[in-house]
Amino acid sequence: MFYIHQTSCISAQQTFREVDLDMIHELSNNRLCAIEPTYEEIPAGVLRRMGKAVRMGVGAAMPLLQNNPKPDGIIIGTTNVGKEECGKFLNQIIEYDEGMLTPMNFVQSTPNAVAAQIALLTNNHGYNITHLQLGLAFENAMIDADMMLHENPAACYLLGGVDDLTFNHYNFEDKQGWYKKENISNKDLFQTDSRGSIAGEAATLFLVSNISESAIAKVRAIETFQFKNEEFIKEKLQGFLLKNLDAGEKVDLLLTGENGNNLVVKYYQSCESIMDPETTVARFKHMSGEFPTASALAVWLGCRILQSQSIPEHMIKRKGSNTDYKNILIYNTFKGLQHSFILISIPA
Amino acid sequence: MPERILVTGIGVISAIGNSVAENHLSLTEGKCGMSRLEMFPSKFSGSLPVGEIKISNRALKEKLDAFEPGMTRTTLLALHAMNEALACSGLSNKEISSEDTALIGASTVGGMCETDEMYSDAKLDTPGSEYLASYDYASTNMYLQKRFNINGPSNTINTACSSSANAIMYGARLIRSGRAKRAIVGGVDSLAKFTINGFNALHILSNELCCPFDEGRKGLNLGEAAAFLVLEKESDVTGKKIFASLSGYSNTNDAFHASSLSEDGAGPFTAMKKALEIAGLKTSQIDYINAHGTGTENNDLVESIAIQRLFGDAPPFSSTKANTGHTLGAAGAIEALFCILNLSEQELYPALHFKNPITGVGLQPIGSYKKTALNHVMSNSFGFGGNCSSLIFSKA
Repeated sequence: MFYIHQTSCISAQQTFREVDLDMIHELSNNRLCAIEPTYEEIPAGVLRRMGKAVRMGVGAAMPLLQNNPKPDGIIIGTTNVGKEECGKFLNQIIEYDEGMLTPMNFVQSTPNAVAAQIALLTNNHGYNITHLQLGLAFENAMIDADMMLHENPAACYLLGGVDDLTFNHYNFEDKQGWYKKENISNKDLFQTDSRGSIAGEAATLFLVSNISESAIAKVRAIETFQFKNEEFIKEKLQGFLLKNLDAGEKVDLLLTGENGNNLVVKYYQSCESIMDPETTVARFKHMSGEFPTASALAVWLGCRILQSQSIPEHMIKRKGSNTDYKNILIYNTFKGLQHSFILISIPA
Repeated sequence: MPERILVTGIGVISAIGNSVAENHLSLTEGKCGMSRLEMFPSKFSGSLPVGEIKISNRALKEKLDAFEPGMTRTTLLALHAMNEALACSGLSNKEISSEDTALIGASTVGGMCETDEMYSDAKLDTPGSEYLASYDYASTNMYLQKRFNINGPSNTINTACSSSANAIMYGARLIRSGRAKRAIVGGVDSLAKFTINGFNALHILSNELCCPFDEGRKGLNLGEAAAFLVLEKESDVTGKKIFASLSGYSNTNDAFHASSLSEDGAGPFTAMKKALEIAGLKTSQIDYINAHGTGTENNDLVESIAIQRLFGDAPPFSSTKANTGHTLGAAGAIEALFCILNLSEQELYPALHFKNPITGVGLQPIGSYKKTALNHVMSNSFGFGGNCSSLIFSKA
């Protein structure tokens, strides 16, 4: 696959610039909103007109675009980019009864808004695409990046997952039972036994290429599935590990998207059940909440762990005997409908 | 040379017909599909021409046997076109369900066609309608995937109005990379209060029939459509009809403005140039361009300039948006499908509503229907956010 060279992340925790993952920001209204920086790199006039998703996406991308050669393309996975503006324009239509409407919200309501704004602000004429397959949007973006790097071996791409939490999105999901009815603290997410999770958001960007030198992680394999049961997922995971790990290699860390929803925990248990005692099992959605491109944040966390060789205590579900973190397997499911395995390792 | 990617199945529904055969007949006859909006109430139903498909959602549900809750018009239109494309390709159920069959869709409206329901569902004090899980862009693809038991790579792409050109490109790249053996690719958008009001607020909707590349053009007409293609590797195709090959594709960004193109058309120019490079073709080998040609002041001028800059003398060209309306996320796929018909039938279709060339540009789209030898044709698609793509199809 390919190598990750630099990362940048705006999330509900202290992940942007000065990273501190030991202290957890606590919230109790079932919504983990991102800690937004001041976005000094974005011109003030432009920033004022940006919705939150675009602000977060562009803001997280900026540190990767300064002092680096211009990437050959921009590949974004998202579900919610544009939805805030979409909601605002929808309100205009109904509340002004299709009267004289201002078009700004409409122009910004397309999901390609983050990729487009980054291109516009950095004059990037390269490949520019946005993937939208809900809980597999970021995975599809990664697969696209992999294909682009096969087609253009000397290239470098800006790859990312961006989702913000909008008022409308929260209500649509909440009415379908995807968020908890009782208010909980994110610190207690894994102590609950009820339906639904807590809502979240993040913008996570990566610079990726085929160059192994000075890379922080190697993305070795990705597989995705939809509409499958936990037995199928378990079998596929066994096959995935056989195929992608070399003889003698082990998964040192299984990082899962467990999210406190008692309806989907069976998928995570199923994957954990085939791990050896050496393997540590960790989770992260108490830090971020649930959102469709959460796997991008998982990859970011995986990169941190590979670099620092340590895992914050609050993430650990089961401590394995192996504390040397070389190979990290990320398993995430979105609503039990979409599933992905991502294998990342320390670059050889 | 990499292995050829062949088109072995096509399916379409639009304002000029409910099937490939009906769309083909309409193109040859120069039929314009514009009418008054009838399927949902809007303040603009009396004043703006639209390319509306005159089948109600109820009738579509009955015809397609699709009565699941939350079924949107977008999904119904997509299902209609996909049924035809799959039947046309002759893929077996086993092939459709195999892990190496990809489904790549595209949309810019998705389930937001249910604009009023969405407004009400966004409020806290309502219990929620059957459409709660349908508003998302990916919901159409998720439904099709379940309905046809598709188990391969599945994706929904957005690059605004060039979305389905990129779905086609992505499907071809999946095949070339070995991640899929075959790909069902396309796009869909239905008319919606959301887009009608959006484009109206931008003042780029014409209250007359749109006339692409005409000096007096006043804007675009919106339309609705769905189109799907089945792409297969040449080595896998034996004994079935081949409509065309997909020989070139590109994706670039104009990086100029959120909703209009740069004066010199850097994005469109580079998109066409890169597609030619991938196809290994010279400009002189392109026999026809299905232009993006929305009928807006900005697009048609800039696209003309970019074509002249790249080609010198422009090849025969037209915009079939005068027939179907601008079908947004479906436009790339339906226009690709029309290019495939140009090639498989070896004919050019008349451009509609053109009177006078744009001052200072002087380009004239195709005047009348003609049978002619065509080897390579190009389809352009541009979108908000500067997303520019070109596809090149070649004779089978």
